[in-house]
Amino acid sequence: MEVEAAEAGAVEKERGRLAGLSSGASLSPPVVAGLIVASIAVALIVTQGLQPFGQTTVNGLISASYFALGAVGLTLVYGTLKLVNFAHGDLLTLGAYVAFVANVSLGLPILLAVLCSVAVVAAFGVATERVMWRPMRAKGAGLLQLLIMTLGLAFVIRYSIQLFAGTQPRSLEVDVTSSTSFVGLTIGQTQLIVVLAGFAVLLAVGAALRFTSLGKQMRALSDNFELAEVAGINTDRVVLATWIFAAGLAGLAGVLYTSAIGNMTPNLGFFLLLSLFAAVILGGIGNAYGALAGGVLLGLTQEWSTLLVDARWKLAVGFLVLILVLVVRPQGLFGRQERAL
Amino acid sequence: MTPLAVSLDVFGSLDFWIGVGLLAATYGIFTLGLQLNVGFTGVINFGQAGFMAIGAYTMAILVVEAEISFWLALGASILVAMAAGLIIGLPSLRLRADYFAIVTIAFAEIIRYTAVNARELTGGSQGIGGFDGAFLDLSDLMLEGLDSFGLGDQFLLPLLIVAVAVFGLLTVGMYFLQRSPWGRVLRAIREDEDAARALGKNAFAYKLQSISIAAALGAVAGWFLALNLAFISPTQFDPLFTFLGFAVLILGGLANYFGVILGAIILWTLLEGLRLMDLPLDASQTAALRYVLVGLVLIGLMAFRPQGMLGKRQEMVLGD
Amino acid sequence: MTEQAVPGEPDRAPEPAGDVDGEAILAVRDVAKHFGGIHAVDGASFEVRRGSITALIGPNGAGKTTLFNIVTGFQRGDRGEVIYDGASIFRRPPHVIARRRMVRTFQITKALAAMPVIDNMTLAAPDQPGEKLTGLIFRAPAARRREKEVHERAHELLDVFGLREKADDYAGTLSGGQRKLLELARALMVEPRLVLLDEPMAGVNPSLGRKLLDHMHTLRDRDGVTFLFIEHDMDVVMAHSDEVIVMAQGATIASGPPEEVRNDRAVIDAYLGASVA
Ligand SMILES: Nc1ncnc2c1ncn2[C@@H]1O[C@H](COP(=O)(O)OP(=O)(O)O)[C@@H](O)[C@H]1O
Ligand SMILES: [Mg+2]
Repeated sequence: MEVEAAEAGAVEKERGRLAGLSSGASLSPPVVAGLIVASIAVALIVTQGLQPFGQTTVNGLISASYFALGAVGLTLVYGTLKLVNFAHGDLLTLGAYVAFVANVSLGLPILLAVLCSVAVVAAFGVATERVMWRPMRAKGAGLLQLLIMTLGLAFVIRYSIQLFAGTQPRSLEVDVTSSTSFVGLTIGQTQLIVVLAGFAVLLAVGAALRFTSLGKQMRALSDNFELAEVAGINTDRVVLATWIFAAGLAGLAGVLYTSAIGNMTPNLGFFLLLSLFAAVILGGIGNAYGALAGGVLLGLTQEWSTLLVDARWKLAVGFLVLILVLVVRPQGLFGRQERAL
Repeated sequence: MTPLAVSLDVFGSLDFWIGVGLLAATYGIFTLGLQLNVGFTGVINFGQAGFMAIGAYTMAILVVEAEISFWLALGASILVAMAAGLIIGLPSLRLRADYFAIVTIAFAEIIRYTAVNARELTGGSQGIGGFDGAFLDLSDLMLEGLDSFGLGDQFLLPLLIVAVAVFGLLTVGMYFLQRSPWGRVLRAIREDEDAARALGKNAFAYKLQSISIAAALGAVAGWFLALNLAFISPTQFDPLFTFLGFAVLILGGLANYFGVILGAIILWTLLEGLRLMDLPLDASQTAALRYVLVGLVLIGLMAFRPQGMLGKRQEMVLGD
Repeated sequence: MTEQAVPGEPDRAPEPAGDVDGEAILAVRDVAKHFGGIHAVDGASFEVRRGSITALIGPNGAGKTTLFNIVTGFQRGDRGEVIYDGASIFRRPPHVIARRRMVRTFQITKALAAMPVIDNMTLAAPDQPGEKLTGLIFRAPAARRREKEVHERAHELLDVFGLREKADDYAGTLSGGQRKLLELARALMVEPRLVLLDEPMAGVNPSLGRKLLDHMHTLRDRDGVTFLFIEHDMDVVMAHSDEVIVMAQGATIASGPPEEVRNDRAVIDAYLGASVA
């Protein structure tokens, strides 16, 4: 009888969510955000000049590529598994170091090294799911328990890497010196590749999420776990796919970051983690497109801010944006209200 | 000699235990705040290192730059930290627990970047020192007394005594606060905010009080950190330290203040012991090994004994 | 930091109902609330007579729980007005409303499982100066005194509800029915004038259910407490309520004494149109 009441409650909630879906009112905030970004851009062009604006935009797009790729996995894992994964940043680190081992230690060509790193990190993600997260879910672990476990995992990954590789910066065998200029804007040769590759993958990811049935299921599950279960999506398969996807992209993002910046240290992922959270929250937690858009917005915001305040503050600016978004619109640009409160 | 030969001599030295005691007391006080928030209010505070930084920097800046009396500066630093707790809590405590965790860590990072970047005030990455004159006077006085026990050359001993005394007092104080009707309301909120509100309790106001008291405790921990090193710099306020506080918290047990004492002593004995052992590793590797262990301890506890050593299984309610 | 006590609020038991001549303790006027496209409550209006036991009935999804949420401040109504004890409480926060001695239970019990039964009870007592930090420091003796009173009262109530031996157990160890009893006992610790019960009998075995109903009558007769309860069992409703309010599709479609409502055309239609839960 008691159970019945609880179920009735769950069903009531379910209907509530459906109601939220059908409201249609959630279309305008992204548009509003777009208008705000556009007007900021215009204001910056007028006050700071076209060249500085263009250059910071180019820089912003470079960081956007790895922010977005890192964030999309973080948001999907959160959405599907209710796991706020503080170890996600360290998956980027793992990706970078695997690429280093493949590329520098084993002398494989960079492209092969990238593939290695995506594969290894994806496998690692699946392993954590099987060894840690699935058993913990089966035990009915609460939010705090899982949160602290991800912290523990973050420590283990980051400092195991440090234990073996030390803290000295390492570089991949990529060209970090030569650069290209185009209409007065400069971009490093490798950075250009990073941006192009990053955005190509982003588009592919977006398309995969939109058009493949697995991608649609992933989004549906991430956006509304209970509903997806009710609707009969094979959650186990989708959960595995989500980990492969999330961790693999994290590995790739780690390599892209390292290539763009020029070197890697064991704490690079943790350092990036808050920015990834900012991107995720900007886009609305659990929303894959939101994370992609959030990553791009965050990259632009951080770099544009250097036009107004010293570049030393750009990370702090990113975190400030994160806090402001949570305070003003906790569900993010694309999210729905009840998730945040 | 085999490469794994390890010298255990360090555990016999007074220096070692004074060092461990100071760290345990400092991070113990720090973790009392986390216990109040996480263990008793159900608020996940990931920004405790930020409050610690605010306490330490306010004290140091007031003494060094504004030339205010050290003792006054201590009081002022508590007030500033509490105000910071209110400022961060007011807009964000209504958010869900996991969002709040992210906001607080972002806040702590903003504080740390400010410490790095506002060089005129904070000394940037170089840090600031020279704020502890007044305390050293007191310390000298205590050392004279200690001399009669043959301990006159243990120049950190006075600080240890003060830190342990403060830690003990605060623990007992928090314990009684928790047993009061006020603490009862907190526990109700921890489990079900709506139930508490339906009974006439202003849940939001209690959560705000919880966070600002935790901030005050963070500030006090900040004093001892600063006095221990006679110097503060931004690296000491890395989010890492908040997470070490969580390790202390979980090890000792959620929702038990005496668990904090136990957790702090065990964790810091382990960490410092590893650091001083003769392992065939360089400094960064030793540090890495310490934190790998911390990570494994966190994972293991969450998997097999989430209530820690002294916590109660029945009270593990957060996030259901 | 400290909370504002509601001024002028006596901290005594509720006044007796006095002469029952139709004076309303609660008046709901044209309240509405929608979730996206669903109009959960859509123009609900009714009154609850002081000292009455009033039932709120209606098919599943009629908006009864949502209406409770609006009345008790847990959800914001879109429009309308709620007058309680002569003053508007519409859109006031839940704790403020509760302090005016209107207390509710939830459809899914909210016994605080991680707290002992006795703490569940003492928690609910109003006017405990020790619940404020300033009170703890400056009014310590008063807090201690109040705590003693509160414990006595809690034990009395636990006796009445047959939960005495469970006082020191975690509420999580209680059975479903016992939790419902605890929730009601706890609500009474608030010294309420109006109690709103959301499906108090659901999931309770018949003998416990009886007990619950008996308590309701005793409290009404002895202390003049008013009850508004949501119930699906028509026999219970007919036998135990003075008035019945019927909701369907978010609106109140009928109200009056049980016999009258039973024969109301609109009510029969509403119930035939939807399944009687
Ligand atoms: N939080 C919510 N979000 C969306 N819809 C809701 C929410 N709460 C209730 N509803 C919907 O409002 C209607 C009335 O629900 P409710 O008040 O629970 O009905 P009752 O208690 O009479 O069974 C139902 O259709 C329900 O699905
Ligand atoms: Mg209902």
